[in-house]
Amino acid sequence: MYDHQTRSLWSHITGEAIQGPLTGKQLKPLASMPQIAWKTWQLNYPETEVLSVPTRGGMRESINQDAYADYHASQRAGVSGMKYTDNRLPNKSLVIGVQAPAKGGNTQFRAYPLILFTKTAIINDTLDGVPLLIFHDKRSFATAVFTRNVAGKVRTFSQKDRHFAEDDTGTRWNLITGEAGSGKDGGARLERLPAINIYWFAWARYHPETSIYR
Amino acid sequence: MKNYMLILILLLATTACASAEDSEDYSNDEIRTLLPFDAIPAITDPQFVSAGAAKLDADAPVIGVTFNGESHAYSLYLLNGHEIVNDVVGGMNIATTW
Repeated sequence: MYDHQTRSLWSHITGEAIQGPLTGKQLKPLASMPQIAWKTWQLNYPETEVLSVPTRGGMRESINQDAYADYHASQRAGVSGMKYTDNRLPNKSLVIGVQAPAKGGNTQFRAYPLILFTKTAIINDTLDGVPLLIFHDKRSFATAVFTRNVAGKVRTFSQKDRHFAEDDTGTRWNLITGEAGSGKDGGARLERLPAINIYWFAWARYHPETSIYR
Repeated sequence: MKNYMLILILLLATTACASAEDSEDYSNDEIRTLLPFDAIPAITDPQFVSAGAAKLDADAPVIGVTFNGESHAYSLYLLNGHEIVNDVVGGMNIATTW
């Protein structure tokens, strides 16, 4: 990426400026739903607005066809001429890339391969001392990372149907929105953390020190 | 840039290009330029429609963001051709990238 004001170059992956006047500056990663089926997003956020379809040269752009379908289906990794040598996972394995919230010192990175989420939609983990809930629903492709701290206490979660989980105090949570159902935690919301869906070769290239959840 | 933030949400680090260069190894280049600025035009003035007016397939993938009670969805297939949306959501200046 470049910014129009200084024409510095920025990395999509790390958010750091790597060339130009702003070199070394860091954009703040924000939490999002990195990918989700439209129907599932709409059900959970009915008031959502949707980016409208621009026209290019009088042609409406496609919103229901993937121009990169062939690339995703292939073994090709990235730009030609690059060699990717971290063989801990196959290059085109999809992972959820997570970094521990900054505490000073070295930031810890961890990759959660999507293949882990075939039998369960959630993983309770701890990264750099931070209790994390990793969620991926293979049907809607929804991905979310939350902290497992609720009102200062760490909770452990079990999957219920679809995108719902229950914690060890009996509270039911919607893992799309992070909101508690009714009951003693009614109105509470889990803290969502930044997460990306990314091919292993790219994650490993930018964060070679990453660990992998096995 | 202090007001600018980034949503790190991309699946593609890079996309396939120029097969004629397959025999060369650029792994040690710090920065390699493949396309000129704006060859992939970022969206700088995004327009939005309501959920009911969006003509998306039920299973079409979107990026979703929600800040301060305001939510935006972006079709990934649309972002294939733009990669960046400069947006304001819930009062936050964000770049949604893909």
